[in-house]
Amino acid sequence: MTNRSERQSFLGEDSDTILSALRVAIVGLGGGGSQVVQQLAHIGIGHFLIMDHDRIEESNLNRLVGGTAADVRRSEWKATIATRVIRRVNPRSKIIVERTRWQENAELLRSCDIIFGCIDSFSGRAELETVARRYLIPYIDIGMDVHEQGTRFSISGQVALSMPGYACLKCMNIIRPELLAEEARKYGASGGKPQVVWPNGVLASLAVGVMMQLVTPWHDAHKPVYLLEYDGNVPEVRPASSTGFLTGIDCPHFSRPGDLGDPWYGRSQ
Amino acid sequence: MKTHLRITREMLVNVRIDLARPHAFAHERVGFITCKFGSIDPSGVVILAQSYYPVADEDYIRDPRYGALIGSDAFRKAFQVAYNNNIGLFHIHMHPHQGVPRPSRIDLLETARFVPDFFNVRPALLHGALVLSRDSLSGRVWTSAHMPPKPITHITIVGAPIETLGYRR
Repeated sequence: MTNRSERQSFLGEDSDTILSALRVAIVGLGGGGSQVVQQLAHIGIGHFLIMDHDRIEESNLNRLVGGTAADVRRSEWKATIATRVIRRVNPRSKIIVERTRWQENAELLRSCDIIFGCIDSFSGRAELETVARRYLIPYIDIGMDVHEQGTRFSISGQVALSMPGYACLKCMNIIRPELLAEEARKYGASGGKPQVVWPNGVLASLAVGVMMQLVTPWHDAHKPVYLLEYDGNVPEVRPASSTGFLTGIDCPHFSRPGDLGDPWYGRSQ
Repeated sequence: MKTHLRITREMLVNVRIDLARPHAFAHERVGFITCKFGSIDPSGVVILAQSYYPVADEDYIRDPRYGALIGSDAFRKAFQVAYNNNIGLFHIHMHPHQGVPRPSRIDLLETARFVPDFFNVRPALLHGALVLSRDSLSGRVWTSAHMPPKPITHITIVGAPIETLGYRR
């Protein structure tokens, strides 16, 4: 146990070793992903795969942790900013940086122990979960939204754990056909969704907590939390009312034997 | 070559329960895990445990020299699964102790004899042998029928909690 982790020694005698051996992917390094990266660096994660093909813009400064006005002037890669955040906290971390769309190098995800999905689009989240399921990797998804209600607004979000063999984002009703259809209909439409820093912070912290319960459980009674819902207006966080149902579900969406691994492995040799 | 085995905790629990069942005359039980694969950079492979197939009671052979000896029917059934499904075959059994298990001398001799035969069915895939203890596991993987096996370098038990055996450097 090193001095830097003295205050988290309750996570277990070997927690330093476990965390420094872990390879964690963070896909999407905007409002949510940048906060996840920062927390994981402080916790002492040893291996990062960070993926984002965007550069910072002025409109990101309201929420992108680590981003500066100078970064905006340089039009810096979000992945470069995340790398800097990690390096400043934990210079010994090994970081694989990917500045293209994650789908172009999805093979990199296969060697990760956990994947965080911090991306906006439903289709992207569905694709990312599919990769995670195919390679038996736990996937933690963060989603946040600001809804217009007449002249007022409501903030909501959720953190979902998609664990091989258990409920997936479709089972949890996060990925729904009508949402995918609507997204496809609006494809290419300009204008970003409203995003603010504090709900991103709440959701990123919850997501990191979900991961920590999985890798260094600090209480015997821990059970994985599959879906946490956030109401930013109350404000309140609670396990989804469907939690009991989700815990016992046999996911029908990723249950075929052929859903595992590279379908072409061994066929071309 | 880096080899990374992933197996769900749920499957591992079920395998342990099955292998711990007493047999009428065999001192231990054995089974097969079927696996799918994916390439990982730069030259590694991730081995994904897909299903467990216990050896049927009637396919054990009475022989006091072995903890468990299985007959040709057991292998034929496993080969049939591999043939039908494009999967790798990993023989699995359990040692009744805690800590990282090591294959015994007989394990080494016997697996060296029969694992290369798995390549007759699926020559382009990997095959191997896993040993469980009460709280851990280890394994060896064959990349060809003509090469000696290598230890699996990294094992992840996927579940709550996630457990990693063998550390990255």
